Amino acid sequence: MIVAPVIVAPVIAQADEPFVRWDWVGRNLDNLWAATQEHIVLTGIAIGIGLIISMGLSIVALRWRKTYTPITWVTGLLYAIPSLALFALLVPITGLTLLTAEIGLVSYTLLILIRNIVAGIDGVPEPIIEAARGMGYTERKLFTDIQLPLAMPVIIAGVRIATVTTIGLITITALIGQGGLGFFILRGLQFYSAIGTTQILAGTVLSVVLAVTADLLLLGLERLLTPWARRRAVM
Amino acid sequence: MITLTDVTKTFAGTVHPAVERLSLDIAEGEVVVLVGPSGCGKTTTLKMINRLIEPTDGRIMVAGKDVLNMPAFELRRSIGYVIQQIGLFPHKTIRDNIATVPHLLGWEKTKTAARVDELVDLVELSPDMLGRYPGELSGGQRQRVGVARALAADPPVLLMDEPFGAVDPIVRANLQVEMLRLQERVHKTIVLVTHDIDEAIRLGDRVAILSEGGHVEQYDSPGEILRDPANEFVADFLGSDRGIKRLSLIPISDIELDPGPVLSRSATVAEAEAMMSKYGIDWAIIGIGSRIEGWFESKDLAGQPDLRNVPTRKHRDRISPQASLKEALDVVVSSHTSVAAVFDEDRYLGIATIDQISREIVQ
Repeated sequence: MIVAPVIVAPVIAQADEPFVRWDWVGRNLDNLWAATQEHIVLTGIAIGIGLIISMGLSIVALRWRKTYTPITWVTGLLYAIPSLALFALLVPITGLTLLTAEIGLVSYTLLILIRNIVAGIDGVPEPIIEAARGMGYTERKLFTDIQLPLAMPVIIAGVRIATVTTIGLITITALIGQGGLGFFILRGLQFYSAIGTTQILAGTVLSVVLAVTADLLLLGLERLLTPWARRRAVM
Repeated sequence: MITLTDVTKTFAGTVHPAVERLSLDIAEGEVVVLVGPSGCGKTTTLKMINRLIEPTDGRIMVAGKDVLNMPAFELRRSIGYVIQQIGLFPHKTIRDNIATVPHLLGWEKTKTAARVDELVDLVELSPDMLGRYPGELSGGQRQRVGVARALAADPPVLLMDEPFGAVDPIVRANLQVEMLRLQERVHKTIVLVTHDIDEAIRLGDRVAILSEGGHVEQYDSPGEILRDPANEFVADFLGSDRGIKRLSLIPISDIELDPGPVLSRSATVAEAEAMMSKYGIDWAIIGIGSRIEGWFESKDLAGQPDLRNVPTRKHRDRISPQASLKEALDVVVSSHTSVAAVFDEDRYLGIATIDQISREIVQ
């Protein structure tokens, strides 16, 4: 089922009604919390699977340089498909399922993640690589022990962008019934009253708060994973 | 210890080999410096020894084993490697950086820790640096860590690619002296690449001068190369001041010193004047044997019946017998008396004159 065209609700409510119906918020705290959790899970799955696929494709691109252009070309194409259209195309095949939502969400993370992983690894200074090889690192150990940790700031920068983008995108997956907080935005659009406005605002505010929180947490993770970057010479 | 036989490297997409049929024998415990203009293949040669570059042809033996007969990573773990930019791992502490090869070899923790402590002592680093990251160290300190890391698993062979290229000249000179001191303790077989002929002369037991295509123009001790350059190329590369460069290799103790114009207090003015005219100078030294009081000028003799009350001056430009003739020359040209007075602590040994020094240049 494709949802019928949505008419944007006029935000101006009736004069005797308050702009935000706090009573609705009070009554729906449980639902809001459940939707937030759903949103987090959807994001987590998308970024997790996105990272696994991106890491695999990045390793391929780094090992066989010629594959990098086609890989970015294909993931770039995926990134360019309008999200609404992508879900519409997938629904006949995979239905109104979590799978449909995640296929879309994951596809949108790939380009950003692959670009950042490859750029991060490429950015590791050549003398460090040469020294590591010269001391007897195997290629695999070089990757896990030297290149990956040193690329971490750039990779995490990519994960941050992908995460924030995904959190925003999930509000659209509400259209196929896998919406997290998008559910409230979508439903709010169908009310011509303060109840509607309240729901749109609740979904939007929580989604933004989630994005900002995730971004900050990832920034904290980066700091945690790169302790050397903060300790510079004081001379 | 290391033998290269007809080693050739032609890089993909090039016609002329970077290194062509190069043969070199490096004995155990010696420091061999590969030096030459850029493009002479010195770095390529070095990197073929630990197979960072695979030779196209020829044979390389290290400690009796053909390097191509074992996995590259295994070979490299048995050869210390120091590069110009040092290449410390910025995300690892100094302790972990030094312990790189022991980690790769799977040493026990206690053995590794003990070895790290030993190395820190050996390269004269302060132990409280161990917990820091490379970014917190100065260039000279990083270079020492680089050397400690290369020595960690006690490899018999050390390869150094422009190891002092990344530090300023003053630090470089100190590190060179330290390296020589270190080598006296560890006795490694060291192959070092540099483009700096002075560094090569200072550090090498033997120096291989390479020209384009990895051709060995001369392979000999620095003294021999400076004394008798094999050809025009070598002479040009050494520069027009090679006579003076050679002086830096000869300690003063190697030449026979002139006793100098030494007079006792009991000598007469006539004897003093005779001594000065014999040397063709206007000053003399008062003392007996190796114990001297100082020197005086001929004008100090005015009105004196003998030397009993002649005032003397201390030698300010004294030099030790371990110093090189180059340093002696520097003293000669910058001192009042036009000679370098050689003292072993307070013992006067004699004087080095410009004639004696130039005789060494000519030889």
